[in-house]
Amino acid sequence: MASTARLGMRCARQLFQPARRVVLRPEHIRQSSPIVSRLAPFTTTTKKSILPPGPQVVHGGVNDPAPVPDPHPTHGSYHWIAERGISVLLVPLTLAPFAAGTLNPTMDAIFCGAMLIHSHLGFQSIITDYVPQWRMPGVRKAFDYLLMLATLVVGIGLYEFETNDVGITEAVKRIWRAGKNDATIEKSNLSGLGYDAKALKGQA
Amino acid sequence: MASLRSATRLAAPARSLFRPAVRSYATIGGEMSRGATPSRPVISEKDTSTIKEPEPEKDSKIKTFHIYRWNPDEPASKPKMQTYTLDLNKTGPMMLDALIRIKNEVDPTLTFRRSCREGICGSCAMNIDGVNTLACLCRIPTETTKESRIYPLPHTYVVKDLVPDLTHFYKQYKSIKPYLQRDTKPGDGRENRQTPEERKKLDGLYECILCACCSTSCPSYWWNSEQYLGPAILLQSYRWLADSRDERKAERKEALENGMSLYRCHTILNCSRTCPKGLNPAKAIAEIKKSMALGS
Repeated sequence: MASTARLGMRCARQLFQPARRVVLRPEHIRQSSPIVSRLAPFTTTTKKSILPPGPQVVHGGVNDPAPVPDPHPTHGSYHWIAERGISVLLVPLTLAPFAAGTLNPTMDAIFCGAMLIHSHLGFQSIITDYVPQWRMPGVRKAFDYLLMLATLVVGIGLYEFETNDVGITEAVKRIWRAGKNDATIEKSNLSGLGYDAKALKGQA
Repeated sequence: MASLRSATRLAAPARSLFRPAVRSYATIGGEMSRGATPSRPVISEKDTSTIKEPEPEKDSKIKTFHIYRWNPDEPASKPKMQTYTLDLNKTGPMMLDALIRIKNEVDPTLTFRRSCREGICGSCAMNIDGVNTLACLCRIPTETTKESRIYPLPHTYVVKDLVPDLTHFYKQYKSIKPYLQRDTKPGDGRENRQTPEERKKLDGLYECILCACCSTSCPSYWWNSEQYLGPAILLQSYRWLADSRDERKAERKEALENGMSLYRCHTILNCSRTCPKGLNPAKAIAEIKKSMALGS
């Protein structure tokens, strides 16, 4: 950090130095200065690392083996099988509505559930990669809870949508054909369609 | 002589009005007036020197190398790129030849590891033109318009210049127990033998020289090198899992049975692309994952 600050100070000094001093600098000093310091006055951004590398820490002696974690198949091979299995399962579940038209609610629910678990595992993987437990345990815990909350909210939302509305497959279908199915196209009198004709007239 | 000196003294007061502190020396005859002038015009050092700048040869191929420099003796100063130029006609074909020539003839403070110069020791692993490779196996691109950039292995702690600190890498290697583990002795009391087919499974695994090119090219290893073993170590791990003579396969698999050691591999495949020995660490990792999933 100190070196960054010093670099910044040097840049500032060069920037606000009167031209007189620059001219008086001997030729050989000016030539030996690296290209970076000549360009530095023109950079407007300062270096801001989100997660700057810490100092090197060697746990134990340099000849000791790195610690081996305890076996947890639920975080290891079982987790991996579940992850890949659900991804593979999603392919036929996504293709089925194209083949068979609108699915029944059961299949729709399975699709929703698989999708929810798939995205949860995907986000979990991102958090494990980019928010390392050993580096920032507190932030990691916050992210883990945030993900659980998000999955819960999405799960409740999908349940509501499946039970009280048309369901996800039908919804996609309707959106896809929104233009074709729109009953208001090329109709001047919309009163028969259940629309609030007055409000529409007011807008027009 | 005495009369001449007095004559000079007579002329002196008038001249000293304009040129005060000039010391004049005794001269002879007509030289007198010239001897009173300050000195000859200054001849620059360039014209008097007997050493000449070497003339660039007509068909010389001057290549520019930008090399990462950082000196631990000045920890406050930032790492910088230093530029060197070499005539490719006088340099060997490989990047290591260029580095050795720079160290010998241009800058003896340049620091890098090298030993075998033929891709067997894995000491000279570095990032050359954006690719992790061994300097001794990397040809210098002959087009002189392109400038080469040489960095130490990415995301490593740097000891000096192009020398990375691989302590943790070796500690991880030690943690997978890279040696034959057996509980029984062979029946006939002789060496542990295997069939040619079993031996063939180790081809493409035993050639790894642990240069760390693959591990340091893996983004997942960049972020989680503390816990993720990385492609090089996992390839070595598979080398012992695939060995028919080893009898501790279950233990070896158990050591990988967690979220970090093995499963941070996301099949990015940088490892297989960069390997200077042409090995395929990604395939070895996939084989480990397969055997862990199928339990074979």
